[in-house]
Amino acid sequence: MDGPIIRMQGISKLYKPDTWALRGVDLELEKGSWVTIMGPSGSGKTTLLNMIGCLDSPTSGSLLIDGTDVTKLGQKALASFRRENLGLVFQQYHMVPYLTALENVMLAQYYHSVVDEAGAVEALERVGLGHRLTHTPSQLSGGEQQRVCIARALVNDQEILLADEPTGNLDKKNGEIVLDLIKDLHDDDHTIVLITHNPEIATMGEVLVEFLDGQAVSFKQTSNRVGGG
Amino acid sequence: MFLRILAKSISKRKGKIAIAVVAVIMGASVTTALLTVSLDVNEKMNYEFRKFGANLLVIPDSDTINIGIGQFGFGAVTEQKYINQSDLYKIKTIYWAKNVLGYAPFLYQAVTVETGNESNVAILTGTWFEKDTVLEDGTVFKTGVKTINSWWDVEGTWVDDNGTSQDAMIGANAAEKLGVGLGDVVTVSYSERPDDLENATYLELNIVGIISAGGPEDDQIFAKLDTAQELTNRPNMVHTVQVSALCTKCDVDEFAREIEEKINYVDARTVKQLANAEMSLLSKIEDMMLLVSTVALSASALGVGTTMTASVVERRKEIGLMKGMGAENGRIASLFLAEAGIMGVLGGILGYAVGLVLAYLIGLSVFASQVMPNLFVFPIAVGIGVGVALLSSLLPVRRATRVEPAVVLRGD
Ligand SMILES: Nc1ncnc2c1ncn2[C@@H]1O[C@H](COP(=O)(O)OP(=O)(O)OP(=O)(O)O)[C@@H](O)[C@H]1O
Ligand SMILES: [Mg+2]
Repeated sequence: MDGPIIRMQGISKLYKPDTWALRGVDLELEKGSWVTIMGPSGSGKTTLLNMIGCLDSPTSGSLLIDGTDVTKLGQKALASFRRENLGLVFQQYHMVPYLTALENVMLAQYYHSVVDEAGAVEALERVGLGHRLTHTPSQLSGGEQQRVCIARALVNDQEILLADEPTGNLDKKNGEIVLDLIKDLHDDDHTIVLITHNPEIATMGEVLVEFLDGQAVSFKQTSNRVGGG
Repeated sequence: MFLRILAKSISKRKGKIAIAVVAVIMGASVTTALLTVSLDVNEKMNYEFRKFGANLLVIPDSDTINIGIGQFGFGAVTEQKYINQSDLYKIKTIYWAKNVLGYAPFLYQAVTVETGNESNVAILTGTWFEKDTVLEDGTVFKTGVKTINSWWDVEGTWVDDNGTSQDAMIGANAAEKLGVGLGDVVTVSYSERPDDLENATYLELNIVGIISAGGPEDDQIFAKLDTAQELTNRPNMVHTVQVSALCTKCDVDEFAREIEEKINYVDARTVKQLANAEMSLLSKIEDMMLLVSTVALSASALGVGTTMTASVVERRKEIGLMKGMGAENGRIASLFLAEAGIMGVLGGILGYAVGLVLAYLIGLSVFASQVMPNLFVFPIAVGIGVGVALLSSLLPVRRATRVEPAVVLRGD
């Protein structure tokens, strides 16, 4: 392990008027680790991922990602930080509806740096969609769309992959394909933060964090720790 | 990539974009029509002014015969009054006489024209072409329509006033209507009471020239003044006199006043005065169209604004997703503004085309003139289209940049 890549201290989030989605969360994630987050609905898991993903800002507390205090960044710097460091996969497989699978992946390249069609094709081949390049979202199954989203998240090779119930809407088979892809990324030393309701999936990572009422209530080492530590 | 996103996002939402484009067309077309009509009519008036210089129309007091100069027509006949031909030399006796370049008398009469076995009614105008007239001091002064309207486009030759043959010229429109060409002989007949064939006088005219003047002249037949006076039995009488005066240091109104003094039963009007009626009509129409343009442009803005707002709301997730991928506000804004810009360009181009049709119709129905398209208006129409589209998109685009990227993580 290479030390904490994400260090969260006293993070709270108030959704106006009076919903405290997070209440003073302290969390440290090792670089290259796989952290799974579980907890009942409404316990603040997605809110936490929004914080780490720099998609939303905390009401209080400090959040350092790779040494940068992201709570102090402006809109432009945040956008740039996101594209440099963070890949996102969601429960609802969001794609731009009027673009093809390939173009959706290229879009991520476009916003990241430069469009490289060969690289985008390669990413789609990696998720087993080499034969679906020109399909639009409406022509793809849910599992295929989620795999496009993973291709999109890995094409720019960002350090951290955030996945919010990536298999929540998928059947068992597609879910396994997606999880295998995430495992591959983890094997390539990417840091994974994954939210799930599925106890089976929860044991795939190295650390399991349980959430309740906006607080991280337990940390468990799970058996899959790489490097035998 | 940007263009690809743009093209695809537009082609997937054709219907809504078409509505916004139609909204832009409304505004751009009315504005185009306004500009085209006013530029065209102004240009035509300026053209007339240039051609005529400081021109004057002399008519008998309180007479309103249906005549005009160039573009400027006015009133209908009320009472037949005349100017004595023998008084015309007095125009050359005013203080500014040297500035009077020329003048031409006009005697108008509706006559029946026989061509083949058809007969039509046309205006026969008696005038001087380039006549040798004798002034007060005995000197010869060459004057007539050729002197004051040297810019007339003449096919064939001018009539020789001093010759003896019954030569005549015909306006281009009349020539076409009557099927008359150069070298043809037309028979005109006149009787004091219509259909009084027994007392009709006949005259054979040799057409030696065809006139294109771009005004009412194009509908008339021009014969020598004496010929017309003889035919209609009105010796020494003329209806109007057009005076061409070149005036740089003097006031044209001063000319008019002096002529009215020298010939005390006439009314001398400057072309400017004549043009006033048309000018004020133009300015009224401009005012009205400015109002309509404002309303239409507001409607355009509303149409585009609504479409863009709907588009932003509908595409919230897409915007959040793009932001999640690291797109900055500027990139989101430029995508939406580019869409608006394209609507503006399309609306502007189509609006220009529709506007030209509108302008043509307005020209025909209000000014009875064919309004010509003005290319100069094209960039303005497109500019207005783009401007309105962009301006009205500012608020929706602001809204787009404010979409929280977090929306993508949350279900609906
Ligand atoms: N935008 C928002 N405005 C107001 N309240 C919100 C907002 N987003 C989330 N909340 C509230 O914050 C709390 C935490 O929500 P969050 O989405 O983080 O839960 P979660 O643990 O992800 O639940 P689930 O397992 O159902 O996805 C909930 O009570 C939720 O209603
Ligand atoms: Mg959630």
